[in-house]
Amino acid sequence: MSANTQPLVPRKKVLSVDTWAVIVALIAALLIRAGVVSHVPW
Amino acid sequence: MASSIALPRVRSEQPLLQLFSVIPGVLLLAAVGYAGKLLEKNVGAQAKSHHWTFPNIEYVLWAILIGLAISNTVGVPEVFRAGVATYEFWLKAGIVLLGARFLLGDVVRLGGVSLGLVALEIAGATAFMLYLGRAFGLRPKLTTLLAVGSAVCGVSAIIATQGAIDADEEDSSFAIAAILALGALSLFTFPLIGHWLHLSDHAYGLWAGLAVDNTAEATAAGALYSDAAGKLAVLAKTTRNAMIGFVVLAYAIYWASQGQARTVKNKAAFLWQKFPKFVLGFLLISVLATYHFFSKDQVTALANLSRWAFLLTFAGVGLRTNFREMRKQGLRPFAVGAIGEVVIAIFTLGLVAGAEKLFGF
Repeated sequence: MSANTQPLVPRKKVLSVDTWAVIVALIAALLIRAGVVSHVPW
Repeated sequence: MASSIALPRVRSEQPLLQLFSVIPGVLLLAAVGYAGKLLEKNVGAQAKSHHWTFPNIEYVLWAILIGLAISNTVGVPEVFRAGVATYEFWLKAGIVLLGARFLLGDVVRLGGVSLGLVALEIAGATAFMLYLGRAFGLRPKLTTLLAVGSAVCGVSAIIATQGAIDADEEDSSFAIAAILALGALSLFTFPLIGHWLHLSDHAYGLWAGLAVDNTAEATAAGALYSDAAGKLAVLAKTTRNAMIGFVVLAYAIYWASQGQARTVKNKAAFLWQKFPKFVLGFLLISVLATYHFFSKDQVTALANLSRWAFLLTFAGVGLRTNFREMRKQGLRPFAVGAIGEVVIAIFTLGLVAGAEKLFGF
């Protein structure tokens, strides 16, 4: 394949670790806010 | 974070396979972290019941020590590596959740102080590291990577800069090894120095956040001192992380002007791409907590969840640190990094002492 050839399938945009961490943390916060998770022991 | 020292990033094309591939390592992180928590509880109780003189070792240090023991004896088997590499994800999720423990006023006040100190730290550390790199005859791009790693935020900054200035993999590997080795050392030296100097929780936390390079190590070094110091260390380190885009952009423009890197066309897009998004998550949770979106019990639950995330991070810090691998990277970059870190630690300690006198925290 020459360097100028466009790939047939466009590359999917992958979210960064940062973004995933924010998404997961916000979901967890919302679950706690909604009362789905009421207590997290330590 | 691409920890090229011990844990290469494993990527699978299938998202589901990728998810399954991290499960063993995440379970290992949880097991090591929980073992640290159990040891903190039981060793202390045993020592007390037998009247032994034994220092109170917190779960943070136990988790790191167990991880170090595994990594440097039997090693981390391949099946666990992808999951162990997720420690950075847990670190960032933990920082976002920690936002619940900061009222916006605290973030503005302490973050404002941190921002001023961070600006001075970045300027001082960068200038000194560039001088040191030249004095030791290191390659210019390796010096740039070490300067960014020491001045801003460790491995993430090195990786971001490597791409922006077209640096060699080898240079990046050297710089990462030096920063990680020094980060591991700081875990043991910073709390000792802090106690020796009788630093307050605030002063120590600010110092750890300003002087320790990698976010995971800065968080651990803070938590090893006290809970309050851990909070402050995260805030100061997060402020430092927020600067990453500007510093990397400045270097990218410099190396492009030398004809040794690509020109940055869209500077705003570049800044956004390099900006650590977890800083925004942290601020959002802090704003929500400030305006009572969460009840008191919910804030406690969020804080505990953040502790669990950090527990996995601390286990990961130990598991990914392999001293044999670090030794292979050579002595000169390490020597430059070590001298730089000592000077930066003294410089930032002076900054913190000055700020403590000025602002009285």
